[in-house]
Amino acid sequence: MLSRLQRAAPYIVLQICVMYFYHLATQFDFMAPPGRIGPDAWPKMILVLMGAACVYEIVKNLLVGESFSAAGLLDKLMTDAGAGEEAANQPSYPLRLWGGIGVTIAYILLIDTLGFFIASSTYLALFMAIGGYKRWRVIVSTSVLGSLVIMFIFMKIVYVSLPLGSGPFLTVSTALLTVMGVH
Amino acid sequence: MDIILSLGAGFLEVFQPMNLLVMFIGLVLGMLVAVLPGLTLVMGVVLALPFTYTMGLLPSIILLTAMYVSGTYGGAFTSILFRIPGEPIDVPLLWDGYTMARNGQPAKALGWTLFAALCGGLLSATVMVFLSHPVAKFALTLSSPEYFAILLFGMSSVVSLGGGSITNAFISLFIGLLLSTVGVDSIYGAERFAFGVPFLQDGIEYLLVMVGAYGLGEVFTRLEKGFKGDDKAGNSDGKIATEFPTLAEVGQLKGTFFRSSILGIIIGIIPGAGATIASFVAYGAESQYGKRRKEMGSGIAEGIVAPQTAATSSVGGALIPLLTMGIPGSGATAIILGAFLLHGIQPGPQIFVSSGPMVYAIFASLFVSIIGMCILGYFAIKPLVKVLDMPEPVISAFVVMFCFIGAFAARNNLSDLYVITAFGVLGYLFEKFKFPIAPLVLGSILGPLAESAFMTMMVSENNDWTVLIARPVSATVMVMAVIALVYPIHRQLRERRAARADKP
Repeated sequence: MLSRLQRAAPYIVLQICVMYFYHLATQFDFMAPPGRIGPDAWPKMILVLMGAACVYEIVKNLLVGESFSAAGLLDKLMTDAGAGEEAANQPSYPLRLWGGIGVTIAYILLIDTLGFFIASSTYLALFMAIGGYKRWRVIVSTSVLGSLVIMFIFMKIVYVSLPLGSGPFLTVSTALLTVMGVH
Repeated sequence: MDIILSLGAGFLEVFQPMNLLVMFIGLVLGMLVAVLPGLTLVMGVVLALPFTYTMGLLPSIILLTAMYVSGTYGGAFTSILFRIPGEPIDVPLLWDGYTMARNGQPAKALGWTLFAALCGGLLSATVMVFLSHPVAKFALTLSSPEYFAILLFGMSSVVSLGGGSITNAFISLFIGLLLSTVGVDSIYGAERFAFGVPFLQDGIEYLLVMVGAYGLGEVFTRLEKGFKGDDKAGNSDGKIATEFPTLAEVGQLKGTFFRSSILGIIIGIIPGAGATIASFVAYGAESQYGKRRKEMGSGIAEGIVAPQTAATSSVGGALIPLLTMGIPGSGATAIILGAFLLHGIQPGPQIFVSSGPMVYAIFASLFVSIIGMCILGYFAIKPLVKVLDMPEPVISAFVVMFCFIGAFAARNNLSDLYVITAFGVLGYLFEKFKFPIAPLVLGSILGPLAESAFMTMMVSENNDWTVLIARPVSATVMVMAVIALVYPIHRQLRERRAARADKP
């Protein structure tokens, strides 16, 4: 029963989301001329179809206990070629994943304060380390040089205004840009 | 005659130094992403997109198309030499390509691959040139029910031909379609699913969905599975050379070349079926109908020529619906469509009228790219294979960085970084729970087009949806859509019943 529930769980979550979004779709504020469909028709149609697909999977997995699913052509071709077997036997590193997601979120939160160069070089180094790379000299040199090169290309050549940071970090970014000849 | 003259003018445009330079960069980048196991072709094209923001439209499209075409070829090197398919496209090359290399003929195997990519690519580019104009003319005669039916067919083929279970692919597509409805509706001005948040009121850019789900999602998935660290993926220090097949040898395989090219072009045209399916299907067709079908898998040239010819020829095929109807058939063409839209050009039936010279320059660039790709593949194979020595954690960290810059640069808005991280996590969850990502992305791209066609149809036909099956063209396309969905389900159920019946 537990394995059935595990298989059905993603569809149950999706079904709850579908119902919530359908409720939201009934609350759209609009004035449609009589006899014409409104802006809620298209999303409602999608939600009904998605709900039907979720109900089918919930019933199939939870009540019938059937795990067979018709696969797309590419999936079948890859399975026949044995390409999925290697992936199924791979190890899992959940801590690395959550560490990676964590530093990614921290990077987005801090980039506006630290500026592109400091935030990115720190992020690159941390991401490489979390990814299991252990050559510290390579980590430090590629993250610092990489951030500088990216900053130069995007600010000097592609003209993208990357965040410069605030307070003392702004001073560092401005000094670097002056050295690079970016005005 | 007009087509030849326009194509000639296109060649003159392509031979401008700037265009040749971006083409060269695109070819090198395409091969690099195809060789590196941590990067996929679509991800590579996504990462190149921000560099096109300040370029003109033509160099942008030349860069991305060159990456797309060379990405279908570069992975062949590592498949044949080290048994490492850089892309799923290259899996069929393991069976005969790697076997031929192990049989002591690696240079010959590489030569066949190069020749197959050249023939398939040039033939598909020729077909694209002569087919696009008539298709665009035909598309001009279509009204909203036909266009909506074509979009439904495109979406159903994405579901039935892609990876993952069909139900999961449907759910993925519906999520993509739903994402495209977020923001202020263009007809009534009603706010939909925006929760009063300003950046959601502007809608969710499909570029963010694409960069997040394809780029970040893939990196997160690989991070959980563990990157390859210092260990070299393959021994790239050995002697590597390419030996061309003789004309007599090529003559013996003309049937394989022709069959696989046609298959590749047709499969490329069908939305959702890209180079990977073309490569597998062409190998399967050769195994069933080829002269030496019983020897397939033992390291024969047909097993290399069929998948490589079909994979490269699918590129020309995939560009036909993109340019003539504005419908991208694959992840890579979706990004090329993004580049068009970023520069204010909507591909579709009118494009030959509004931007004819540019379209022919794109056609010409495909011919030059294919030839350039083969020259590059011949001379630069050794340094290209060397990139296998680069550690995956370093590459992946820079991939994430380019994803962020790509998302940020589009609107100079830091909120977009949150959006792509959210889609990165969603992409990871999709991989984990075996939901395919391609329908999500294509749903978010085709959603506005489909909704607009649906609303126009309902308004002009007084809410009578049966018009879809009452008009000959839309009815035919609807039947094709139903067949595309029902046939694989029916076939697999039949196989399952047969397998059950065989059990004692």
